[in-house]
Amino acid sequence: MSSVFSKLLTVAAVAVFISSSAMFTVPEGFQAIVTQFGDPRGDAKQKAGLYFKIPFIQDVRYIEKRILNWDGEPHQVPTKDQKFIIVDTSARWRITDPLKFITTLVEEKTAQQRISASVISATRDTISANNLVEAVRTTNAILDLSPAGVDKSSAVVKSPDASAKVDEKVSLLNLAAQETSTDLERVSIGRVALSERIADRARDELAKFGIELIEVQLMRVAYEASVEQSMYNTMISEQQRIAERFRSMGKGEQAKIQGKTERDLKEIQSQAYRKVQEVKGRAEAEAIAIYAEAIGTNIKFYEFLRTTEAYKKGLRSDTNLILSADANFMKLLTEGPDGILKANN
Amino acid sequence: MHYVFGVQITTNMSHEPQIPNLGKINPEEIIRQFNNNRLQIFVGLGIAAVALMGLTSFYTVQPDERAVLMRFGRYVTTAQPGLNFKFPFGIDSYIKITTRVEQENFGIGGAMASGAMGAGNPLGTASSNRDPSSESLMLTGDLKVAEVRWSVQYQVADPRQFVFSSSNPQKIIRDISVGTMRQVVGDKGVYEVLTVGRERIAGEAKALTQKVLDEKYNMGVQIVAVNLQSVSPPAPVAPSFNDVNAAIQDKDQAVNRAESEYNRVIPEARGKAEQELLSADGYAFEVINRARGDGDRLAKVIAQYEKAPEVTKSRLYLEMAETLMARMGSVSIIDPNLKGVLPIFNENKIKPETVSAVLSDGRQDGKDRASLAR
Repeated sequence: MSSVFSKLLTVAAVAVFISSSAMFTVPEGFQAIVTQFGDPRGDAKQKAGLYFKIPFIQDVRYIEKRILNWDGEPHQVPTKDQKFIIVDTSARWRITDPLKFITTLVEEKTAQQRISASVISATRDTISANNLVEAVRTTNAILDLSPAGVDKSSAVVKSPDASAKVDEKVSLLNLAAQETSTDLERVSIGRVALSERIADRARDELAKFGIELIEVQLMRVAYEASVEQSMYNTMISEQQRIAERFRSMGKGEQAKIQGKTERDLKEIQSQAYRKVQEVKGRAEAEAIAIYAEAIGTNIKFYEFLRTTEAYKKGLRSDTNLILSADANFMKLLTEGPDGILKANN
Repeated sequence: MHYVFGVQITTNMSHEPQIPNLGKINPEEIIRQFNNNRLQIFVGLGIAAVALMGLTSFYTVQPDERAVLMRFGRYVTTAQPGLNFKFPFGIDSYIKITTRVEQENFGIGGAMASGAMGAGNPLGTASSNRDPSSESLMLTGDLKVAEVRWSVQYQVADPRQFVFSSSNPQKIIRDISVGTMRQVVGDKGVYEVLTVGRERIAGEAKALTQKVLDEKYNMGVQIVAVNLQSVSPPAPVAPSFNDVNAAIQDKDQAVNRAESEYNRVIPEARGKAEQELLSADGYAFEVINRARGDGDRLAKVIAQYEKAPEVTKSRLYLEMAETLMARMGSVSIIDPNLKGVLPIFNENKIKPETVSAVLSDGRQDGKDRASLAR
């Protein structure tokens, strides 16, 4: 019994050993090629699962099925409009034809080098055949965006509500737009389409190696140092212009308000003067009318009465009065008791 | 996240993946041991097998995890949190991933490098991608430069896609996010980016990143949020931007000064105008009332006078004359026929300032009286 059991177990062990060499699994995200003494046999196993092979003689090579990254190195490229820029790209790829792949590139490292060569030259060719702006903007939306809300910019800056901040920003934006009204180029291809062109160029080349280039992306597009400095200088001078403009606007506003102050002040004062004169005039006119009415009833008596008052007021106490002896007042004295009567008659 | 890559099958294709293999047991060893102590080995083996089966048949998934279960390498199901069953002995295997929200930062974590974009490394190195300023400095649609720092929060939405679609999902998300942000910023003017564009940029970047990840890569990732940490002008330009802000404040101050001056002057002037007007009203009252008073008085006097004009006139005249005579400094009475009066007065030392009245006669007076009498 023991020998039977041991034999059975031995057979089982050997069977397991052989079958384990005859079976292999392809995990999810991988594909496999069965090779016989290094020579690929049959189609690539692209679906995950359990597969069989001839034990010991055949071997299995596993190849990535998942998306792989390619990371470019920044390099300097002149654009069509002679701007020197630094371009950095990245790409994603995968192995779609494992058989082609292992026969041509063999492993991922060589594939990365192959992709570098293709993508970088495609990038270089495409970038240098186009103006810089094509690698920056995707659409012409920036051109269509005429300073929207210009009306807002004239809105009162110091309105206390919450929208004031936004208004101010909008007005700042519009102002900046006015100051920097340099002609913006139109883009005809655009960043996204340009990336696709680069990818298309490289894609055909790489298909030969069983590689599918999924996407090339322009990561960084940056000015070369000297260009960058001059661009900064431009920005600084723009800002200075804007700052000057704000200060000047402030002074202008101030002057306007000062003018209004003066205007309002004069208006108030002159209006008051006019009304005062009107009121006084009306009152004086009325007074004259009243006097005229009163005096009109007996003008002679008024003259007499008023003259006596004028004498009383006008002739001061230090006046030296020289009277002619034949003055009426003196008649009584000079001509006797009948003097006054004579004079009156 | 990290243990995704821990469990991850090595990308070096010359080796077999490290999946549990049944073929590594040495049969001779087994037979020898079996012969030595058959029963114990058999029982022990049985117990060990059962224990191993039990131990390797169950696994737990934490609430913030999901497990992707594979049978012979092929995807079977995504296990939910809790205790889960699998076939032992390498038939089933699983990969656990977290469903927590992960965050990637861009352009954050380094000092704001001034012009580092082009200054230091003209041809760059692979690591230059990690240089925060090279990530954050980007060209705007008007070919200027803005510095944008942002972060992306994402979450695994479909564990199966996330695990099997790419070898390095984190790297893809980073690269796509960098490219997308530059695409979005590249479509806007620098001032728009720096002022009002912020929220719009974050929104557009989020939508676009999601779209690319879904359509081109089928990543099984959901972008939770794109947050713009800071949007600023590049360091060399920053002072001039600050100066603009200062200029805005200067402007506001100038306006405020002028307005406070206005507020100081005008209300006072209005008050004064009101005062003058009221005072004029007062004057008007005075003038009119005086006139009325005078008029009334005159009317009354005239009424009485007309009852006895001659008597009254004489009386008034004499009263006046009396008053005047009594008040005068000196009264001289001179014969009308006398000539050369002045020398006498010179001798009398009359002060030059004093007024001398020479009444030639009372003819004028007489006339009045005559007319009144008539």
